[in-house]
Amino acid sequence: MNHKLTDGGHVMHVGSLARVEGEGAMHIEVRDGRVADVQLQIYEPPRFYEAFLRGRAWTEPPDITARICGICPVAYQMSACWAIEDACGVSVPEAIRLMRRLLYCGEWIESHALHVFLLHAPDFLGYDGAVELAADHPSVVETGLRLKKAGNRLMTVVGGRSIHPINVRVGGFHRMPRVSELRALRPILEQALDDALATVRLVSGFDFPDMEQPYEYVALRPEVGYPIEAGRVVTSLGNDFEVGDFPEHVAEFQVSHSHALHARLDGGARGPYVVGPLARYTLNHDRLGEPAREAAREAGLGQVCRNPFRSIVVRAVELVEAVTEALRIVDGWSDGVSPSVPVPPRAGEGFGASEAPRGILFHRYVLDEDGIIRDAQIVPPTSQNQAGIEADLRALVETWTDLDDHALQHRCEHAIRNYDPCISCATHFLDLTVDRS
Amino acid sequence: MTGATLVVGVGRSDRGDDGVGPAVVQLVASRLPGESGVRILAQEDPTALLDLWGGHDHVVVVDAVVTGDAAGTIHRFDVGAEAPPLPAGVRAQVAQAGTHAIGLGTAVELGRALHRLPARVVVLGVEAGCLDIGTALSSPVADSVEAAAALVWKELAADVPG
Repeated sequence: MNHKLTDGGHVMHVGSLARVEGEGAMHIEVRDGRVADVQLQIYEPPRFYEAFLRGRAWTEPPDITARICGICPVAYQMSACWAIEDACGVSVPEAIRLMRRLLYCGEWIESHALHVFLLHAPDFLGYDGAVELAADHPSVVETGLRLKKAGNRLMTVVGGRSIHPINVRVGGFHRMPRVSELRALRPILEQALDDALATVRLVSGFDFPDMEQPYEYVALRPEVGYPIEAGRVVTSLGNDFEVGDFPEHVAEFQVSHSHALHARLDGGARGPYVVGPLARYTLNHDRLGEPAREAAREAGLGQVCRNPFRSIVVRAVELVEAVTEALRIVDGWSDGVSPSVPVPPRAGEGFGASEAPRGILFHRYVLDEDGIIRDAQIVPPTSQNQAGIEADLRALVETWTDLDDHALQHRCEHAIRNYDPCISCATHFLDLTVDRS
Repeated sequence: MTGATLVVGVGRSDRGDDGVGPAVVQLVASRLPGESGVRILAQEDPTALLDLWGGHDHVVVVDAVVTGDAAGTIHRFDVGAEAPPLPAGVRAQVAQAGTHAIGLGTAVELGRALHRLPARVVVLGVEAGCLDIGTALSSPVADSVEAAAALVWKELAADVPG
């Protein structure tokens, strides 16, 4: 919807933002060629989950919170497990961490393939969506679907099913997949590696608008390897803290235009901070395995990537990394590993974080001596990225004021999709409003 | 029996009326004779249909839809390879009730573009009223499950020996 205001302003209202996970609304006001206001309005319900987690048993968060999202359930399960185990003073053996990483690789592959090929690539190639892209370039879409299927297959073997896995429990897994089951994945993963490398070559050839954003990047950094299932928190300004200190650094706050809490880092004086692929890559490119590092080099990614539009290239590089890691873990696995360790309840507070495909997902739980949850906090990545998305739009719209409303809407949606926002639990629709004068 | 017929209920059972597809196919499954050969599945991810329906020439999909009609209203769409493509507006409607960026309508048209769409695909869309997480089917939608199952049964009539 577009209309002129009596003061000469202009309002654009788009009923539904396509190709994002879930629904919300966006409002932009342009006056005298300057962007007066940008609001990304998200109706995200993790608060409900936090409320009804209270009074539940310490063993339940992995299964309950997995239902928050059909795209990143493993992220919820892993962050929940770490936090509960932290509260109970339990550390899981290395083999269980590895199996969690393998399951998580499946989610990254599935989620990144969906976003790169079916949601984001049409923006760069000039198509309205995946269907139109598939009509002209079926092999491109088939590559994406094949990758997504490989991720689903990995999640099914390790997690019991491809959406909302059922094999995860506090302390580990209900059963470990057998070596024979994992080795059977090898041909699928080998094909996926070829497809992932082809994906990097494809997307690195796209045209990217010039844009460099100065946000503070925040990502996990484990002792070894690229951050997926765990790590300490590091930032591009040199800050470095334990996951348990996350609440001391990150404060959530409410804004009137979004149901999802915004978040500020260390008081917000340094401006918006961003989590997700660009942050992970910039802070951990030295941790990529050789195939992904070489793919990144060939794609022209430097050590720092500050162009949000290039996030599609980083996602493709992370596809290579996830497949490579999956192959490494599959090849090194042995039967006979105990699937879980006991996690007896105790009173306490615990913290957990992992790298969801869209960035850091933080959980905090307070338990009583019987293991009953007395308080729960979930900070999802898309909530943390709202301010960055709004700042991107503010900068971009000012350079795009010569575009007609249709073109402007398309560009704005493209810019939002740079962050692969995951608001899929919401039931409202994402509307775009541009108000110009 | 050829075994070439597939019935899929798409949706999430813990998201209010989005669970109507799984509820309907569960009812259909409970009434199928043991050796019917009809394959019945519930699925949350519409893109999975692109693989699931491979090898089947007759598919019935039950999903929640949002078109603005009264909750519980049942719509029927012929969307198979033998049918014309879904108009973009209908595609959006069929996709809208789902929880994923790639909805059923998009999955169908992707299948058509990639020559992976079975000859006969019928979508029975049940108008959703409430899609809130953690809720069960709303009364009007729960009341329509029996009628929707009967329509599935009607679609299967030629495939299942009486």
